[in-house]
Amino acid sequence: MSFPHLHVSSAYSTHYGVTMPENLADQVQAQGDDFLAVTDRDGLYGAIKHFRACTAAGIRAGLGAELAVHDDEHRPLGRVVVLAHGGMAGRGYAALCRAVSAAHTHPRTPSISRRRLASLATLRTLTVLLGPASDIGQALTMSDSATARTRLTAWSRIMPEGSITLEVVCHLTPSGPGSVGPATRMLGLAEWAVLPAVLTNAVRYGTPGEAVTADLADSTRALTPLAELGAPQSNGQAWLKPDTLMSQVGRMVVDVGSHPPGTLPRLLADTAELADRCTLDPVTDIGLGRPRMPEAAIIGITGDPHTELWARARHGVDERYTNSPLLAEAHAALAHEMATVHQLGFASYFLTVAKACDLMRNMGVRVQARGSGVGSVLNYALHTSAVEPISNNLIWERFLSPERQTLPDIDIDVEAHRRHDIYREIFRAFGAERVSLMSMTNTYRSRGAVRDAGRALGIPDLDISAIAKQLWRFNARDFRTALKEKPELAEIAAEVQRSQQLEMLVGLTERLDRLPRHISVHPCGVILSDLSLLERTPVQASGMGLPMSQFDKHDMDPLGLIKLDVLGVRMMSSISHAVEEHRRLTGETIDLDRIPVDDPATFDMLCSTRTLGVFQLESPGQMELIGKLQPRSFNDITVEISLFRPGPMEANMPLHYLQARHGETNPDYIDARFRPFLTETNGVVVYHEQVMRMIDALTGDGLGHADVLRRHLGKPDHLAALGDYIIGKALTRGFPREVAERAWKVLSGFGNFGFAKAHGAAFAITTYRSAWLKQHHPAVFFSGLLTHDPGMWPKDLIIAEARNLGVTMLPMDVQHSGLQYRVEILDHGRHAIRLALGELAGSSAAERQRIAEHQPFTSLQDFRDRVRPKRRTFEALARIGALDAFIDYNRDLRGTLLAHIHALTGAVQTVTGTQLAFDLDLPTPRYANTVSLELRGRTQTDLELAGMGLTVTHHQMEQFHDLFRNIGVTPASKLLDLPGGSEVLVAGVRRATHTPPMRGGTGRVVFCSLDDGTGPVTQVVFFTDTQARIGAAAFHTHYMLVRGTTRRTGARGISITGEEVWDLHDVAHTINQRTHAEKLASDTTTTSLDIGHVYELFEKRA
Amino acid sequence: MPGKIDATVDVILAKNGDPAAFIWDRFEHTVIGQPQAIFTRHPWWETSAIPTLIDTELWRLDASRAGAEQHRYDLRRDADGSWVLAVDWG
Repeated sequence: MSFPHLHVSSAYSTHYGVTMPENLADQVQAQGDDFLAVTDRDGLYGAIKHFRACTAAGIRAGLGAELAVHDDEHRPLGRVVVLAHGGMAGRGYAALCRAVSAAHTHPRTPSISRRRLASLATLRTLTVLLGPASDIGQALTMSDSATARTRLTAWSRIMPEGSITLEVVCHLTPSGPGSVGPATRMLGLAEWAVLPAVLTNAVRYGTPGEAVTADLADSTRALTPLAELGAPQSNGQAWLKPDTLMSQVGRMVVDVGSHPPGTLPRLLADTAELADRCTLDPVTDIGLGRPRMPEAAIIGITGDPHTELWARARHGVDERYTNSPLLAEAHAALAHEMATVHQLGFASYFLTVAKACDLMRNMGVRVQARGSGVGSVLNYALHTSAVEPISNNLIWERFLSPERQTLPDIDIDVEAHRRHDIYREIFRAFGAERVSLMSMTNTYRSRGAVRDAGRALGIPDLDISAIAKQLWRFNARDFRTALKEKPELAEIAAEVQRSQQLEMLVGLTERLDRLPRHISVHPCGVILSDLSLLERTPVQASGMGLPMSQFDKHDMDPLGLIKLDVLGVRMMSSISHAVEEHRRLTGETIDLDRIPVDDPATFDMLCSTRTLGVFQLESPGQMELIGKLQPRSFNDITVEISLFRPGPMEANMPLHYLQARHGETNPDYIDARFRPFLTETNGVVVYHEQVMRMIDALTGDGLGHADVLRRHLGKPDHLAALGDYIIGKALTRGFPREVAERAWKVLSGFGNFGFAKAHGAAFAITTYRSAWLKQHHPAVFFSGLLTHDPGMWPKDLIIAEARNLGVTMLPMDVQHSGLQYRVEILDHGRHAIRLALGELAGSSAAERQRIAEHQPFTSLQDFRDRVRPKRRTFEALARIGALDAFIDYNRDLRGTLLAHIHALTGAVQTVTGTQLAFDLDLPTPRYANTVSLELRGRTQTDLELAGMGLTVTHHQMEQFHDLFRNIGVTPASKLLDLPGGSEVLVAGVRRATHTPPMRGGTGRVVFCSLDDGTGPVTQVVFFTDTQARIGAAAFHTHYMLVRGTTRRTGARGISITGEEVWDLHDVAHTINQRTHAEKLASDTTTTSLDIGHVYELFEKRA
Repeated sequence: MPGKIDATVDVILAKNGDPAAFIWDRFEHTVIGQPQAIFTRHPWWETSAIPTLIDTELWRLDASRAGAEQHRYDLRRDADGSWVLAVDWG
């Protein structure tokens, strides 16, 4: 005996179902059942995961969706379950996909029209379950059988014969929709209409213990605390019950009504029969694992794709390698690659990607492949990739080989701001029925989980926000561990001990861990396929309007869908902005493909660690590493980028590499046979490519198989067997045991960490270009950075860096500022950057658009007439000085101007006369005796910070510079003069906080980047013991004073080990008080931070 | 006359999982007909802990003791699996 569940919401029914498909399938298998349908709400979000889980669990899979339906007059008909029929060569699944997509074309909430559903259900493709949530079920709940019959008749009239089945659900509630009454009436209705009925449990969770999580989901869905929830689930019976309990439910339902003999067996038999009909075959019904590329005509070929690809590739190699000594080698490599392509039948794939790249290039977009595809001569020849693979020691097999089971994956980097245009162009060129954006499933992390759990418990928003802010990125289920271990959470931890409510909060937060939260459009994935695409994936509108598949990246490969990752890289936008600005100012075009890649000045800059704004190299950790590494060539940059990854860091690779690089240790090649490919990294294995070559050398299995083995390195279960295999093979190939074992030690230590060199080399191109621009054209470069904001640092710091490098920053001015940052040439020929309008907080895009369109303005009146600013915007512009043009740039008059604007906006609709008069009076305001008090006591820096969050003319730390001098703070620009181990005071505004993964995972280190306005950011490191002492200050003090010790980290690197922290405001306040109250003899320092002590310390220094 | 009982009883389950009989006060009461289960939830958020199960399981059934007149009873199954005869409906 076994019971097939036909109506089950998985956790992919977000904020409704709460159990992951894998757990559901495993439970079904464990309960001895052999079938499971997943019918998520409004979509097939969990479908492919469900299929894979069922295959793994060895059970049959069915698929459906729970959809809202409406009639021709758009009246709602409740919700129904639509199930796909199997054994129809995919037609059932196709109809289901179409039905879901159709529901998502409905405005506001998804709903499908009954007529559309009927037309999709013809030819016996679908079964529609009319259950308690349908209009029929709703009538039966009200005991209104007559209405239920009328409604059923309406369904029967429209739906094709055999497509309707009634669904009996009973959750054994005392009364209402989940009770036996409506269920037995549903059964009676089926008898009356001579329609089949099936039993389901409208499942929302696997086990009864998860009912609490479903409560939480209900609260989140309704955005309402549980205590205020109008209709919480009536009980916790919507779980995946085993067959005995389902039969029991059936018995009770049949017993309370008057049904003919044999009703229960028939109900269970009809349920089983429907499950049989809805069993889908992964291959013949869903088409799993069968790639489908766009049709030949779409990619612009007429003949055989392989022949076509050959012709283009040969031509490409000849062109790319003109006059290159590598030409012959390139042709040989191409032949090698083409053999694989032919064997796997992927010619169309390469042509498709090349076609997409051509489309982008024709739009004037710079295109650059990244990832393993860069290792291919074929991609280089087709201009999909810009990196020459042979000279960079890249490997084709890292990308594609007959041994690999997955579809190839090419990532294309493009300028971020052109990404949406590119998508539209791809949709246009390939046709909307062959293209879809990919989605991504966002899952709960700690912050979101604590917010939703807090809301459910009715904890006030402010308290929850306070807690959520303390939570850094960790998984919700680690909440309890985090409370124990992280000093900055100590306060919350103590509170949890005291408060039962908070204890519950922690428990609920853990329950949400990793559950899907919502789906959104993937930032880069575009799915390209043939005309069958929309019959294999349901789509819904994405935020940008283009259709988005309900499947995410994990579903692509199993489904045989080809995805192209078109990644918007904001640095590429910044670079193109810089190049364009340079052309606008000088008429010269910088050809980035031809700038010298060995420019000493650029490398000098990199070695100086002033890499702020340089692609991939601007993080505090990278600054430290580059100071040690001292790159002198393009390859060095590739190494640098590849070393600075969690894996290599954990394996301590940077240290090994640096020691060998700087001659502190001899390069260890282990064996002469490894030397050719380990030389480039001084004997340290850094790249995937080196791992592959080493495995190949040891085993002789070829690079393709080597890549398969490389992937196994990351799986602890495989490791022992893999080691035996590789060492065993190596011994037969003449490697001494000692060498083989040492090589294996290196390989197993490498794990699957590290980086494909192909990836690093592709990044290094953009890195080098950005560094070169920063060195040689700083003004246009910074205008690009400020416009497209590509990096990790706040704009205020970018501006500070620009100023430090001698670029003048010009304030926002409605006469000059544009939508983007522009470079202006000052009288003496120097370059300056004009602040863009977008920085004004609270202004609307439309206002900014009008300013840019109509400037310059003849008067304040003219500005007001043509821009029509909101009152808030108008005043904000005046406050920060963007309207100073109308007072002749006399800052002293700004208070007057502001007062005038206050008055003006108050009377805008009626007093036109005054406005005209005012027009004539400007720029000499006549309201000299009316001054707004708003500006009193506030510096330009204060006003800029408040209005824009950044400062243009002065650094926000300048207000403390006197204090710094008084107490002996060492300026960042002077830190490098100090030897290691010096005790110092450093200060500044916090620019970033990092908690990088640490080697061995023991202890956690907090990095704070402080900026005092004198030079590069200062890295302050707080180790575990210090964190315990200073608590949340490590994360939250914005203006910091730190006492610590210098730590030299290489020729040009220094950081501070922080020991004590104060808030600069407190220090300034205390010291002011002291100065003013020196007459008080008694020492009355009361602050817990013991600022008094420090003051004395500074006095000694001064 | 309905009477509140609240006595722990032993329940004998049939093969299909339904209560078939219960022993109350040393006397076996045999269940007659199909017993009906009712699950009622409780608002756990008003309490101070997260429960394992949110439902109370109650069985309403007719039973008689050795041919005596049949009564309607409510049997409650607690989370630990023990049974309580809650109400004798008469």
